[in-house]
Amino acid sequence: MQNPGLIDDYVERLARKLDFDRSLSRCVRQEVEDHLREAVAADTTNDVAAAERRAVANFGDPDVIAAQLAVISLAKQSRRTSSASILGIAAIFLAMKGRVAWYAAAQWTTNIDLRSIVGIVGSVDRYAFWFSVIAGIGCWLYIGTRRFPHAFDSMFRKQLDRFLLVSTVMIAALMASVASDGILTAIQLSGTGFSASSLVPILSMAIEILCAGLLALHIRGTTRRVTQIAALWNA
Amino acid sequence: MLGMEGEMLKGHLDMIVLAALSAGPAHGYAVIEEIRRRSGGAFDLPEGTVYPVLHRLEQAGLLSSRWVTADSGRRRRVYGVTKRGDKMLADRRKVWEQFSNAIGGLLGGTRPCKTPA
Repeated sequence: MQNPGLIDDYVERLARKLDFDRSLSRCVRQEVEDHLREAVAADTTNDVAAAERRAVANFGDPDVIAAQLAVISLAKQSRRTSSASILGIAAIFLAMKGRVAWYAAAQWTTNIDLRSIVGIVGSVDRYAFWFSVIAGIGCWLYIGTRRFPHAFDSMFRKQLDRFLLVSTVMIAALMASVASDGILTAIQLSGTGFSASSLVPILSMAIEILCAGLLALHIRGTTRRVTQIAALWNA
Repeated sequence: MLGMEGEMLKGHLDMIVLAALSAGPAHGYAVIEEIRRRSGGAFDLPEGTVYPVLHRLEQAGLLSSRWVTADSGRRRRVYGVTKRGDKMLADRRKVWEQFSNAIGGLLGGTRPCKTPA
């Protein structure tokens, strides 16, 4: 006689623990269910209920397996965050350069009265941006060259702490750069007045804000996941 | 809870899984069966332990995977060793043989203590 839902319950419990990573949860659900059903099919006794119980018992504690899988998911997520940072910074750089090129093509000049402010804000923009580039590349190289962890141990925790610290500094610098760009664009637009041609700098600023915002959310998501997975390991 | 042998085994799981897959692509259940068969039943870890190892090795580029439909109609994930995985296994094998020879020499060289009269 078959145990109603014994395998289903086991698979559900394991998959639910991995809900924070939907694609992993879905994939593990299918893999583990296939494994358990095959173990039952391979059991030579005619007692299906006992075979199911054995299959589930032989598979191991779902909480332990979920915790081990979660660590790999976290390592993947941190690598994705570092790649997203590089792409985000590159997109912001292109938007920035595109806007400057457009100013030159349209022969827009800066209001003479505001040139000193533009100079200061421009310096903040440059330094903040290049700082974020260095921090972003540093994060990418650092996390990309670490080995995939076996456990949420102190070594992995330290790696994540360093990665998140530098990522946070990087996004803060990038946001400072985008804010400076916003000020410079506003100064530029105030000197020329609003027209259809103003849409180009406005659009490029929107791209910068969007990229920086998405990147900040990505880093926040990774930070949250670290907390979730730490809880899974401490449970 | 794993005993001492289990703990020792855990440290070599990557190599064991790579070795089990070196014969050809297989899914998780077949990997476990192959480990049991080739170890003569000596390695009997919880079966679920193999999945985090498979996922980690895939992320590290040592394994690749694809989904197929099994005869039962269920979706099945089949893993295979990549070129990088092959190279890693060959390296690990070499290190293991050196280590095993060294330990074998040490243990084989011990003499039982004489029982006092």
